[in-house]
Amino acid sequence: MKKSSFTNFFLGLPSFVWLVVFYAFPILIVLLLAFRPPDSNGGIGTGWTLQTLRELRNPSYPAIIWRTFWQGLVSTAVCIAVAVPISYQLSRTSSQKLRNTILLLIIVPFWTNFLIRIYAWRIFLHPEGAFKHLLVLIGVIPESTGLLYNQWAVLTVMIYTYIPFAVLPIYAISEKFDFSLMEAAKDLGASSFYAFRKIYLPGISKGIWTAVMVVLIPAFGAYLIPDLVGGSTSELIGDKIAQRVFVDRNLPHASALSALLMLGVFVPLILVSCLRKFQLKNQKKAEFMK
Amino acid sequence: MKHLLASCCAVVLAAFSLILCSCGKEKETLHIYNWGNYMSDDVIAKFEKENDCKIVLDLFDSNESMYAKLKAGAGGYDLVVPSSYTAFMMNEQNMLEHLDHSKIPNVDQYFDKKYSSLSSDKEMAYTVPYFVSFTGIGYNAAKVQDFKPTWKMFERSDLKGRTTLLNDPREVIGCALRAIGIEDVNSTDQAQIDKAVAQAKIWKTQIAKFGVDDAVAALASGEFYLVQNYSGDVLQAAMENPDVRFVIPEEGSTVTFDNFAIMKDSAHKDLAYKFINFIYRPEICAENMNVIQYVTPHKTAVDLVDDELKNNPAFTIPEADFARCVPLRDMGEKNTVFNKAWDRIREE
Repeated sequence: MKKSSFTNFFLGLPSFVWLVVFYAFPILIVLLLAFRPPDSNGGIGTGWTLQTLRELRNPSYPAIIWRTFWQGLVSTAVCIAVAVPISYQLSRTSSQKLRNTILLLIIVPFWTNFLIRIYAWRIFLHPEGAFKHLLVLIGVIPESTGLLYNQWAVLTVMIYTYIPFAVLPIYAISEKFDFSLMEAAKDLGASSFYAFRKIYLPGISKGIWTAVMVVLIPAFGAYLIPDLVGGSTSELIGDKIAQRVFVDRNLPHASALSALLMLGVFVPLILVSCLRKFQLKNQKKAEFMK
Repeated sequence: MKHLLASCCAVVLAAFSLILCSCGKEKETLHIYNWGNYMSDDVIAKFEKENDCKIVLDLFDSNESMYAKLKAGAGGYDLVVPSSYTAFMMNEQNMLEHLDHSKIPNVDQYFDKKYSSLSSDKEMAYTVPYFVSFTGIGYNAAKVQDFKPTWKMFERSDLKGRTTLLNDPREVIGCALRAIGIEDVNSTDQAQIDKAVAQAKIWKTQIAKFGVDDAVAALASGEFYLVQNYSGDVLQAAMENPDVRFVIPEEGSTVTFDNFAIMKDSAHKDLAYKFINFIYRPEICAENMNVIQYVTPHKTAVDLVDDELKNNPAFTIPEADFARCVPLRDMGEKNTVFNKAWDRIREE
């Protein structure tokens, strides 16, 4: 016993060191910087201050935070809503060849640089482009409507970008799901949809949670997409952080904003995971009581 | 068979010795950190050939990102091309080499002193002006009806969604100040700034976005009809689309020098001096201007550029327009006034 925990310690050491050096340490620096004063040359001043935190009560922030929040939630919801049926169908596909082909098609976009794909969207939604002309021709939109540079363009490109991130973890769990359970449910009189809802969805809930995290966190931090396809009023927190670093040369303020963003992501996640643990415990208790 | 083997060996050995030879003599390398699309490839090739050296070009898209990278400790650059207000700040922090003018005789001989008034470094102690960049309006004459050279164009509702302003607090606020009749684009007077913010917010309701990146390519492709941008960039777009024009609005505008500066920690200072001197050689300077379409403040080279460019008022800026342009200066501690104003412009 003693020996095995000793080996475990050494086996775990590299990843622990990795986490501390490249994850915990940088986060700590960001948090600490939020309490240092800036100097006007883009450096860090001496001493400690709470001024930066007070500056977070900037009247322009609530609107930006709200926009970041709802765009992140909507794009996550849409990504999950699209990814679940895809994963369901994919894991039920009996032909291995077809399954691999579809998986490949989902992964293929990753072979092209992210930036180039955003620029492809800009060409696709271009006001003089074929798609726009088609929409005008069939009378869906008037000539003066722009498809680019508004928050709908930002949302569309965000959803497009994150869908593969949602499909892969859900599919990974769904593939291991025992579909005979659904057949059993149907044998006992459940409708297909009821079985999907009551048997399949809880069975893949772990994959869904992973997908939510993998999509929500980068969506909250999105910076390039609103910058390139967004308009004059589609700034997100990510853009503000970039502005604080590059234009304002105020690293402490950027750090405070980043910390706020981190808190905004972590606190709900911790709450949710506590809630789940609590639920599981209760469930087990209930089973035990039976 | 034996012969074949022997000749194979000989070929391999020969190849090896070739590789070894070429490795042995490493060429001196000059690292330049410059704006994108801001130097003629042919000019670079000529310098490389003449001095038997290699030039490595790294690009940035704003003074701020260049400064942030250097400030964060990026080393290895010999020559950088900051705008005046950034160069001023870099010099304050001792990042730039104090220039030895005996190594750049062409600059002293050819620099056109009429531009001195625009510079914050009149003695050229740490910078040598490379290009003059006027901020103005680039527009597509085929798409904009009834064009007038005024910032009021950005209020026109018939152009809604087809115009852009620069994503740069100083440029937008500076031009808003001029638009409401305030001469000093560096004003930090709160009442004046408030008025400029109100003006910029009116513009914001009509524009597509605040952006610098490829607004110029978009102007050429017909995506945008009217953009706030820099003279030479718009002229580059005009080469692709003959309907594209550039004007300096009648209310006046801003102007900036982009300058050569040698980094204090540069390992190839002599080569960097040679390069600056090379660019100020009249025929080289003219060749570079023909490609990049910005004006170098050079006494004689401007006469050598192609006639078509020379006669373009967006290149040879008329005296009256010239007089209406004021350089942006770094305001140190007071920069926060602009940053706060920018937050208010960007908020709903």
